[in-house]
Amino acid sequence: MNKKYTFYLMLFFFNSSILHSQILKNLTSSYESYSAYYLDDSKTGDFTYEDRFRSNNYLNLKSSIVNNWNFELQIESYLPTALLNYSPNFKDTGISTFKIQYNKKDLNISLGNFYEQFGSGMILRSWEDRSLGINNSIRGLNAKYRINDKINFTTLIGNQKKGFKYSKGYIVGFDSEFDLSKILKNNSTFLLGISYVGRNDQKTKSDFYDEMTNLYSARIDYSSSYFYSNIELVNKSKNPIVIFGSVSDTFIKEGSAILFNSGFFKDGLGLDFTFRRLENMSLFSEKEAYGNLYNESIVNYLPAITKQHDYSLTNLYVYAAQPNVSFQSNSLTKAGEIGIQTDLYYFIEQETFLGGKYGTNLAINASIWNNLDGTYDFSNQNYETDLFGFGEKYFSEISFEIRKKWSPKFDNILLYVNQYYNKRLVEETTSEVKSNIFVLENTYKINDNKSLRLELQHLSTKDDTKNWSAFGLEYNLSSAVSLYVTDLYNYQNPVKEKKIHYYNFGGSYSKGINRYTVNYGRQRGGLVCTGGICRYVPESTGLSFSITTSFF
Amino acid sequence: MYIKTIDGKSINTKLTYNKKGLTVYSFWATWCVPCINELDDIHKEIEKWDDANVKIVAISTDDSRTKRRVRPMVNGKKWNFEILLDENQALKRALNINAIPHTIVTKGTRIIYRRIGYKPGEENHLYEFILKNSTVKN
Repeated sequence: MNKKYTFYLMLFFFNSSILHSQILKNLTSSYESYSAYYLDDSKTGDFTYEDRFRSNNYLNLKSSIVNNWNFELQIESYLPTALLNYSPNFKDTGISTFKIQYNKKDLNISLGNFYEQFGSGMILRSWEDRSLGINNSIRGLNAKYRINDKINFTTLIGNQKKGFKYSKGYIVGFDSEFDLSKILKNNSTFLLGISYVGRNDQKTKSDFYDEMTNLYSARIDYSSSYFYSNIELVNKSKNPIVIFGSVSDTFIKEGSAILFNSGFFKDGLGLDFTFRRLENMSLFSEKEAYGNLYNESIVNYLPAITKQHDYSLTNLYVYAAQPNVSFQSNSLTKAGEIGIQTDLYYFIEQETFLGGKYGTNLAINASIWNNLDGTYDFSNQNYETDLFGFGEKYFSEISFEIRKKWSPKFDNILLYVNQYYNKRLVEETTSEVKSNIFVLENTYKINDNKSLRLELQHLSTKDDTKNWSAFGLEYNLSSAVSLYVTDLYNYQNPVKEKKIHYYNFGGSYSKGINRYTVNYGRQRGGLVCTGGICRYVPESTGLSFSITTSFF
Repeated sequence: MYIKTIDGKSINTKLTYNKKGLTVYSFWATWCVPCINELDDIHKEIEKWDDANVKIVAISTDDSRTKRRVRPMVNGKKWNFEILLDENQALKRALNINAIPHTIVTKGTRIIYRRIGYKPGEENHLYEFILKNSTVKN
């Protein structure tokens, strides 16, 4: 109980006395709180965990103490416990991150917790995503130096955060980026980058493999006024495979990644193509963290390269990247993924037949992701892969989106998605799902303050739990207040008791940088994905509320 | 603080503001429907914004999953805003931005307006705010 009060007292203290004092110059802060009260549900079952009331709170403070020196502190409080399915390492109240930073001209040195990314993040990315419970910042030293705005050097060393704890062992890294555009003697840009990351794991040690795993990467990036192309290559040194939850002493393999991306664009048209191949590429600061449910101890960022959807039914069967080696049975062996994605954007001009008065936006996306082709020897735990061989399909998708404004008051978004999801191979369970999804979003602007938005969705499939329908209605009754009701219904579920309405209703109040929300409803269990990272959440029913605010 | 241009070059954030008037910084992402709605709604009447002598900077917070979609989307939509990339959200974090869409208006380097979220029609309130606070006229 005392801890709870301590936190609110701290909140009050920081936002009243220090904020207005002259001791700290330029203090800014932000506060975010997500709370829920979980209820029993006659359809989905009783709430069987401890603590019906749960709350996640984040207070971030930043200040420049004296010239060139910055200070940042984040206090987090999970009281009485963290929201459902956050890592047990998030508990009580404490200092989550702190940082002192020195900035002078081309030099930047940070001591404490820092966030960093090398290249596209395939060998290193530390970041924070509160909705997913990710904060894999590194605590240590991070130094950056720039030479003539043309050369950047970054070095770092530290331990990686997991909850309020830190990894045993350390991460060390070096990144360099060179702007070589001058060589080309035209207006195009040419960048070259070389990086290194070393992971030293002190928790799981063995004579069969090295303490240190080394990753090297090289990348080039070219862009002109209508074309761009970039490539990134990664090599990861030999490291043990985790099989059925334990680190193997005999199954030890190298890893690699190839990422190629190119695009063409001119006014009204944009085209993008991506190829990526990952083999045995996941990296955790502690090997044992492999496959953990909470996305803890992730060192590198390997998101799924598919369209990131914003609608509930398009997010039912979401693909998560498959960078790992997994040997489950003779017929379920994986070593990574290979695939492509392509995007086309086209704007149909105003005052044309298809463009109408306001023009029409078209977007097409297609992607296909497969297992690596090769020879897999399940009994001897070994494999050999082909460099460009496409194995069994994990996922494919094609989508068409049309955005059309009809009048100053009315506009539409029409989306069609065709998906194939190999649940057996991706989630290592059973079944394959082929589905067709339609979404129609209508927005009607009553005046500058009032508007109505209606979202209609349908997913049809003969597989898994069959058809779903969904709708959402949002009424913005002033610039500050908004109310909504949504429902998600698996109306063809073969099990009668599972034909459940996942309804939600609630509202929000936002004024400037303050936002308050309240929601009552039933959450669907399953994978919740943001930014290509997914987290498993159990089904739940309850009342939730959130506060987001900043102080200056 | 440094941020990337759409070509991947580093640029000091101090060089991004409008020296002659106000600057609107809109934090968005290719997957954020309300963010795109706001920028689309501004773009549809871009002439009046240009006349108000305001510079619009759209800062994409797309990470490496969706970053490559920024350039084709911006061109496919014919947006002529200045586009910057805040790939690992360093600027977003430095400005205490918790969620997007998030809109900031600055006069010089001083922040005079901030808003979270976007509802249809809010671009008109923003436009009125710009007119009221814009001292330098063409």
